Amino acid sequence: MTISSIQLERFTAFQKNRIDFSPGLNVFVGANGSGKTHLMKVVYAACDISKTQADFAEKLVRVFLPSGRAIGRLVKRQKKSTRCAVEVFRGDMKLRASFSNHATQPDSATVTGARDWMGSPVESVYIPVKEMLSNAPGFRSLYAQREVHFEEVYADILDRAYRPALRGQPDATRRRLMTHLQKTIDGKVLIKQEEFFLRNKQGNLEFSLLAEGIRKLALIWLLIQNGTLLEGSVLFWDEPETNLNPRLFGPLIDILLALQRSGVQVFLATHDYIILKEIDLRLQEGDKISFHSLFHAPETGDIACHTTTDYTGIHPNAIADAFSDIYDREMKRSLGGV
Amino acid sequence: MTVLVEGNLQITIPNGATARKFDDNASHGLSHCMKAVDFIVELNNRMLFIELKDPDHPAAAPANRQQFIDGFLGGQIDADLKVKYRDSFLYEWAYERISKPIYYLVLIAASTLGPAELLVRTDELKRQLPLTGPSTAPWPRPFVAGCSVMNLEEWNKQLPELPVSRVTA
Repeated sequence: MTISSIQLERFTAFQKNRIDFSPGLNVFVGANGSGKTHLMKVVYAACDISKTQADFAEKLVRVFLPSGRAIGRLVKRQKKSTRCAVEVFRGDMKLRASFSNHATQPDSATVTGARDWMGSPVESVYIPVKEMLSNAPGFRSLYAQREVHFEEVYADILDRAYRPALRGQPDATRRRLMTHLQKTIDGKVLIKQEEFFLRNKQGNLEFSLLAEGIRKLALIWLLIQNGTLLEGSVLFWDEPETNLNPRLFGPLIDILLALQRSGVQVFLATHDYIILKEIDLRLQEGDKISFHSLFHAPETGDIACHTTTDYTGIHPNAIADAFSDIYDREMKRSLGGV
Repeated sequence: MTVLVEGNLQITIPNGATARKFDDNASHGLSHCMKAVDFIVELNNRMLFIELKDPDHPAAAPANRQQFIDGFLGGQIDADLKVKYRDSFLYEWAYERISKPIYYLVLIAASTLGPAELLVRTDELKRQLPLTGPSTAPWPRPFVAGCSVMNLEEWNKQLPELPVSRVTA
């Protein structure tokens, strides 16, 4: 059962928004500050607690890390007293948290629907913008014991990555994806005493010696190998293009589309034209995709979202607009002012 | 005012400019060994070599349209555009008709091609023609002043005095 929609009311930058998701691939585009990461973090928090059975409000605090861990700071800023509401929908189930802007503790939030929600756990992974695997040794124990100022997505991704491989032979789909990735990263991933290595003909290369882009793809290999990304799981990936050479975007999108075809629900946020275009060019019949364009509505300044299933229907498209502007200026220069 | 027509596309040339169809087999006479751009337009201070491609032609078969787009995105079109320009330049040079800087304008009438794709092809065409000669010792007399690959919308935005339109919708 996939995440079907989200509704946010006066939460962080959102005034009132409802967004329906594709059960396959969901792509968020929009300028900085349009709420892409916030949306993904809320949905991830909801997915994560379905397994860990943690409190939803507590998880939101850990994932967003408001100053002083005061949950009320997640309410959209306005002068008067107000409350926000966060609702995530999965089939018939609804997980809801609401809290006031004066709230300092997560337990003052009202959470409903958690029992049913946790009765049907869903596996999830959130890959943050910053790569973490090379900093992994010791980080998890440090995070568990001390109040280190890191959003919990950074600790969570390491938990997923450290999972041992699934028993038995991987099925054909997983084998194919892993082989595909092995060719791209030129090796397999090995974990020794909390340290990650890429194993290939040259021996074992520690992750700190690898290009950051390769580490990201290696992480996907691990998550497929250890069975985290299986049918029914949900993958969130914030700006997969970061530190990745554009030549690797194609293979990366192939992997994401293949995961989507195997029943993984994927959410990604991107600023990159090539990522968008690769998705458009590599789509196959039957692929389920939604592009969600987030923007500040000109009339109100509030965040709005336009969802489309078609690349050409993405509007507004801040990425294409940037290209359009460059193109106009280049044509003007090339024509030497005809 | 002159109107140049190529298939389903037409360009209106302003008064005072001279324009001719260049790839006309009968008048060109060397089409067996030299390629040719579609039109040559002469303005006060420059010459325009114009090449039109019309994958969105109303009568184009979808398969041919897609084949063209694939060839465009894959860069196979670059060599054709390059040779057309160079051969046309040589042809005009041999006739001693080049007295002004030449700008090479390529119009691709394809609604599916956006700024990014057209920008990439423009940059590649600049590299392939090429524009300036070796970087260590640039040519004192380059044979092309500039080149642009545009779609209909961009053409009309950048060249309002040379509007292009469809003959039939």
